Formats: sequence, C-alpha cells, structure tokens
Amino acid sequence: MIVLQKGVRKLWELILINGLIIGGQYALLALGFSLILGVARVLNLAHPAFYMLSAFTIYTFSQVLDFNLTVTYILSLVFMIGLGVVIYQVILAPVRAQTSTVLILGLVLGIAAQELMLIFYGGQFRSLTRLASGTMQLGDAVISNQHILALSAVMLSLLGVWFLLFKSRFGIPIRAVAQDREVANLMGIPESRIAILTMAVSVALAVIAAAMVAPIGVIDPLMWLHPLVIVLTAVILGGLGSIKGSIMAAFILAFVEVSLVFLAPGAAFLRGAVSMFVMLTVLMFKPEGLYGVFMEGER
Amino acid sequence: MFAYLARKIWRDFQGEILALPTRTILFAAAVALLLLPLVTDDAYLLRIVATASIFAVYAASWDLLVGFSGQTTLGHSLFFGIAAYTAALLNLRFGLPAFLTIPAGALAAVLAGLLLSLPALRVRGPYFSLASLAMPIILMGLIFSFPGLTGGEMGLSGISRLAGTRTGEYYFLLISMFVLTLLMWKIATSRTALIFHAIREDEIVVRVSGINTTYYKILVFCCSGFFAGMAGSLYAHFLRVVGPSTLDIMMSLQVIIWGIFGGVVTIYGPVVGVFILYPLLEYLRIIPDWRMLIFAGIVVVTLRFMPEGISNKFQDLLERQCPRCKERNIFMRKECRICCTDIGTCSRVG
Amino acid sequence: MAEDFLQVERLCKRFGGLHAVRDVSFSVGRHEMVGLIGPNGAGKTTLVRLLLGILRADSGRVLFRGQNLLGKKPWEIVSQGLALTFQNARPFARLPVIANVMVSCLSPRASKRGEWVKKIESRAMDALEFAGIADMAREPASCLSQGDLKRLEVARAIACEPDLLILDEPFGGLSPTETGLMAKSLRRLHKGGRFGRLHSEGPAMIIIEHKLSELMKIVDRVIVINFGELLAVGTPEEIVANPQVIEAYIGKEVD
Repeated sequence: MIVLQKGVRKLWELILINGLIIGGQYALLALGFSLILGVARVLNLAHPAFYMLSAFTIYTFSQVLDFNLTVTYILSLVFMIGLGVVIYQVILAPVRAQTSTVLILGLVLGIAAQELMLIFYGGQFRSLTRLASGTMQLGDAVISNQHILALSAVMLSLLGVWFLLFKSRFGIPIRAVAQDREVANLMGIPESRIAILTMAVSVALAVIAAAMVAPIGVIDPLMWLHPLVIVLTAVILGGLGSIKGSIMAAFILAFVEVSLVFLAPGAAFLRGAVSMFVMLTVLMFKPEGLYGVFMEGER
Repeated sequence: MFAYLARKIWRDFQGEILALPTRTILFAAAVALLLLPLVTDDAYLLRIVATASIFAVYAASWDLLVGFSGQTTLGHSLFFGIAAYTAALLNLRFGLPAFLTIPAGALAAVLAGLLLSLPALRVRGPYFSLASLAMPIILMGLIFSFPGLTGGEMGLSGISRLAGTRTGEYYFLLISMFVLTLLMWKIATSRTALIFHAIREDEIVVRVSGINTTYYKILVFCCSGFFAGMAGSLYAHFLRVVGPSTLDIMMSLQVIIWGIFGGVVTIYGPVVGVFILYPLLEYLRIIPDWRMLIFAGIVVVTLRFMPEGISNKFQDLLERQCPRCKERNIFMRKECRICCTDIGTCSRVG
Repeated sequence: MAEDFLQVERLCKRFGGLHAVRDVSFSVGRHEMVGLIGPNGAGKTTLVRLLLGILRADSGRVLFRGQNLLGKKPWEIVSQGLALTFQNARPFARLPVIANVMVSCLSPRASKRGEWVKKIESRAMDALEFAGIADMAREPASCLSQGDLKRLEVARAIACEPDLLILDEPFGGLSPTETGLMAKSLRRLHKGGRFGRLHSEGPAMIIIEHKLSELMKIVDRVIVINFGELLAVGTPEEIVANPQVIEAYIGKEVD
C-alpha cells in the first residue's frame, strides 16, 4: 500500500503525500459506506469488498482482456454499479428490517467475493497499470504523476459528492430520506429508487478509489479487510450521520497509520492496533464522535 | 419410592420435552452425540464434533451478551483469545494442570469482560460495537509486541491434553458443553435475564424503574466473558496450539454468523448454528477452493429466506403459540395442551 | 411539613444557548397533589427529568426528605421513593406487558417493601389490575393501544411503590371517558390503601398536563412555568383567574 518513492527525501513529505492519498482512499470508501448507511439504513459490510472487486474488474479488463484504459474504466464502472444495485435489490433490501441479518449478509458477501477472486486469480499480489508515468517537480519535492492524479481524483470525487448532496436538486430527496424515511415517503419521494441511486453512487466511489489509488500499491483478494476495519472506525469516529466527520476521521486514521509506518517502521504491524487505540481514546472523551450530532444525552 | 421417582421423571420428560417437537429434536440430537463414539471411531468426525461443542459454548455466550442484552459486540474474540492465551501461558510457563488453567482462563476473560464493560457504560449502539471491535485488535498488537512471551505470530504449542484418550476428550468436551449451555439457559430464563432484556429494549426506562443498570451491564459482560473464556481455555487444551487466530477479527465475525444463522435470543439457536455450520465448513474441505464460497452461498440463501434464523424458523413451522396462555404447542394440535383453548384456527405466530 | 418533603431550589438547566429551566424553586408536601402546567416548550418535561436524574442539572438543589437528589443516578433517586411515567410511553416493546412491570418489581426499593410477596408476578399483576390492563398481561407490549400504554406507564411507576409519583401527561392521547377513568384511579391511588398485594401509603403527585379542565378537578395546587421560569403558584381557582397565566396560554389581548 505504502510505497517509498525515490526522489522524495524528507520524511514529512512522505507522510504528507502518502497520508493524503491513503486518507483519500479511506475517505472515498467511508463516504460510500456512510451514504448507504444513512439513506437506506443498510450497514453494508460488503462495501470494501466492492473496492476489491473493482480493482480486480479493472485488472481483468485492462490486463487480461487488454482493453484501453478509458474503455476499461467505463466498463468497470457500469459493471460494478450494475452488480452493486443487483446485490442490493436482490439480497440486502428484502431483509433490510433485520439489521443483524443485513450485517451478516454483507460480511458473508464480502467473504464470497474474496473467495471467488481467490479461485480466479489466486492469492498472489498483482499490480494495476499506472495511469500516468513520470514524475513532477513540486518545489524541491519530486512526486510521481500517478500520485498527483490519484490525489486530484480523490479530491474531485469528494467535492463532487458534496456538490451532489448539498448543492444540487438530487441531493434534497437523498438528504430527506436520510433524515426520516417515513416522512420522506409521505412527501412523495420514491424512497426505494433513492436508495438504489445511493447504492449506485456509493459503488461508484469504490470504483474511483480502486481506479485511482489501487495502481499505486498492489491488489490481492484480501485487500478489503483492512479498509473494512478502517471504514467502520472512520464512520464511528467521525460521528454517525456526519459525512464531514467520516471524511475527517478517514484522513486522521490514515495519517496515524502512515506516520507510524514511516516513523517507526519496526512497529508497522501495530498500525491496526494504534488506529483502534486512537478511536477508543476519542470515544471515551467524546462519545458521540468528532462531528456527531450533539445531543444532551440521557444518562 | 424408586418407581415413583422414575415415573415422575418420565412424566416431566413427557411434559417438558416430548410435548414440543423442537425440544424432542434437540434432545434426540444430544443423545445421538453422546452415543456417537460407540458407533464410529472415525477420529476426524469425533474431532469435528468436539471442536463444534467448544464453539457452541462460545456462540451461546455471544447470544447472552448480544441477543439478550443488546450489547452488540464485534469483538467477542477478546474473551476467547484472552482465555486461550492465559490457559496456554499458565500451562506452559508454570506447568499448571488443565483443571486449574481452564478456570484461570475463564477468570481472565471475566476481567476482560470488566474491561469491555467500561466503553459499554460510556457509549451505546454502533459506537459501542466499534469500540469493542478495537479491543481484540489492540490486544493482538500487544501479543505481537512481546513475541518472547507469547510466541508472536507462531503462537504457543505443546499445551497439555484434556484427557488421556480421544474418547475421553470427546466426552469431556461434550459434557462441558451440555453443562455450560444449560447454565447459560438457566441464566437466560431467570429473573435477572428479564432485566437484561429490558436493558436491550430501553436502558433509560430501566434506570427510571429503579434498577442499577451499571451493575447489570457489568454483570452480563462478566457472565458472557466467563462462558466465552471457558470455551477459549478448553480450545487451548484441545487443540494444544494457541495462536493469534483466536483473537482474529474473523473469530469475532464467525460467532456472529453462527449466532444469527441459528437464531438469536434463544441460547440454543447459536448452538444449533454451530453444529450445522462448523461441520459443514469442515467437510467442504474436500473441495478446498470452493469451500468458503459454498459456505457463504448457503449462509446468504438461508438468511435471505429466513432472516430470523434457522431455529426460530423451524420453531414457527413446527409449533404454534396458544393465543390465550402463550404456551407453545405442536402444530398438529387443535387445542392447547395447557388451557384447552381452540388453536386450530389461529395463524402461526411469526 | 412541606419543607421536609420535596423542595426544589433555584434549579437551572441550559441546552446550548437555551435556558430550558431557569431558577425554578417550589416545594411539594407529603400529601399533596400538584399540577405542573405551562405552554409547550416551557420546560416541564425537562424539569421532571432533572428531578429524576435523567438529565444533569447545571445548578440548584433538589431536597427530598432533606437529602439532595442532584448528582445521584436515576435508580438511586427511584430507591429514595420517586417515580416517573414518560410522556411518550416507552414500553419494552418486545417483552410481555407483565414483564414490563416485573422489571420495576425487581428494583431494590420494590423488593424491599414487598418482601412478604414471594412472587413478583403477582405483584406485577396487581399493578396491572390497578391500571386496568390485566387482561393484556401476556401480550407483547408492542400491541398495546396508546391509552393502554399510558396505563402501563402508571402500572410500572406504582410497582415501585413511590412516595412521590411524577406523571408526565397521563391523559395525553386518552379519550374523554378514559381521561375521566384515569383521573379517578389517580385520586384513588393518592388516597392510598391496599391494591391487592401492593401497598400504597398514598403518594404525593406531580402531574404535568395540558387538559387543564380535568387537571384542575383533581389537584390541590398548581405550579405554572413559562420559558423555563416559574410564573405562578396557587390553588386551581387562583391560577385560573391569574392574568399572567391566561396571557401565557392564550396570548395578550391587543388593545
């Protein structure tokens, strides 16, 4: 995941760049996850698996079937959104009322996807073709174009979702459903269609994360497990229902992780534990998360 | 005297177990498991059943915490792992025998329950779920940090056996399972469990009813920790190897799969879930590549069509609740076996 | 006498910038039935939640029999002898009705006071009997109607055998006939006596209510609050005639 780059020498630059990119990747996944959680009340644990599947779809189209990159991305986007919507409609939506069942189904679907990829591609690490080659001079730092591209794509998609939700006509019904499903239904908002739309957006975010960030590192069928933990953590740490919060938390967790890896390479295996510790500490002092809706709790 | 006692026991047996098909099935299954070593000496099969009975205790303890009290934890492996490591370390480093290390492991898990109840008193709902997810991951970090003591990635091996023979171990585990699950079932049907139920439904109201919820929450964490810990230390002594996999996130998630597949808030539901799913997963080893995929497929299809879990589904199919006295009856009966109300025309209770 | 039962002194609570309760002081006697009224959003529910310790007060004192209640946990306060019914009924939806009441019976206070009744089921049943929903005892609480839920709340509260019962809109959602019945059983409870195996010494009551005509018939004294502040205290007759109260409820006449 984290790639040391030649040319960038200063430690803080490494931490900054990698933190931003990994944070962006986590933020995209956390955003998709919290969107579908907020709108359809579906705790979709399979969401990071969509990210993994997207990476493998892109791999299949571009390296196995040898399509060019544009075609690959369009095809993967269409395929993954279709898959996501079908899974949502056929498997998750009918049992939506039972939260615990949804939880398990999501998890098991993720495992199924992982196993399927293991059967088709085996467990070895693979890498996606980079979108851009070469490097760029920024001040006295040298950054590869792929990193720049990933960073800008991540930021653009975050901005795009923000625009879609808060500045466009489509955002109003989505936010309405997230606030109160029954009332939104009574107001004539086709709630089920909104949920499908949200599912499509959230899968699309996973595809973007896979397309832009995955080429930096390696892909393998188990690559969804660590993001799963991080995404769950970020959504809670940021405060349930707060999109701003989960994005912030994703970046915080990414920076914690990246700093640990660069500052104490020997303790890199502790990255999960340290992220968890950070979350636990925050929750003990701020039980509603960073940006959770502040409510005078009953105690 | 003896004849009287025998008749009484038979009558109770008839009234409590034979009257209800689901209980009859459970009883028959238990008897079958007890007789299994007499019929076969297939070591693989016996080993699977023995492991399944350990996991059954583990899954039932999860139900006690999550199903009954609504403290949805994603880190149940904390109890299992901490007990397994404690038992293994005491056994290997201090040479304590199994009958001491098993309670010691359970005790360690009770302490872990105390620790886990701290965030539970502070944060609720999904926030707690995540806080609980953090605990085993942090503990795993600690275990990796002291490889000298804990064996690091490789874990600890060479733990002493539970009993001299395979059959001995089998019976030891099976009977422990029966005793522990019956204990849990007793707890789950007691007065105290009523408060656990109520805490799940609305904690604030329980407080305003004059009940010290802090005490009961800590209590349920310790109870659940104790039983999961028993399972963990039995596991250490049965497999004779303890590795980080006992604390793994998959260990926590697996128990949720078993529990929900079997049906929550029943105690016996998760046990049934384990005894169906664990052997299934083991026997799927004949097609190793497709094993997890088929397993996942079966779980998805089952839960898609019976989201309330398999044991609840079968109970609704085979039994009907009397609308008047709420006792359960076999589905063929036209009138309630307790109060003789006509139930032939009522619909099943869903 | 009034001084040593319940005494609330300069109680304050803020939610962010909003003063939900500001400097409220009043007292309740041991055998009083007090109405607590005020327009919507006046802070009535917040006030009683402060008394029960569900919310933490910012400042002030609540003395109950000379002991300060502030800072104590709700269950400690209930053990002292207070009880509360919730405005929007909050049953344990998936538990049977009787189990809802049995939870109260399991509290330390209830089990200490009714030691001679071994079976808490029968005590719970008596509470349900008193509230008038004994026939629903074994149904899950989720199938109760709004009126029955209100009765369940009352049954739950009296199962603790309180000395001071606080009722948050006990008539809310009830039909006129049901309101009359409920008012009657509250009076009966206030008089005290034996209800099956439950023993009542006649709790003092604080009743929050919007149906003023019903309320005025049963209470001895009325406390009016508006915008979190105490507006008036007096007998029902005085309150009905108080121009400030009329203004708060109906608004000022424009000259």
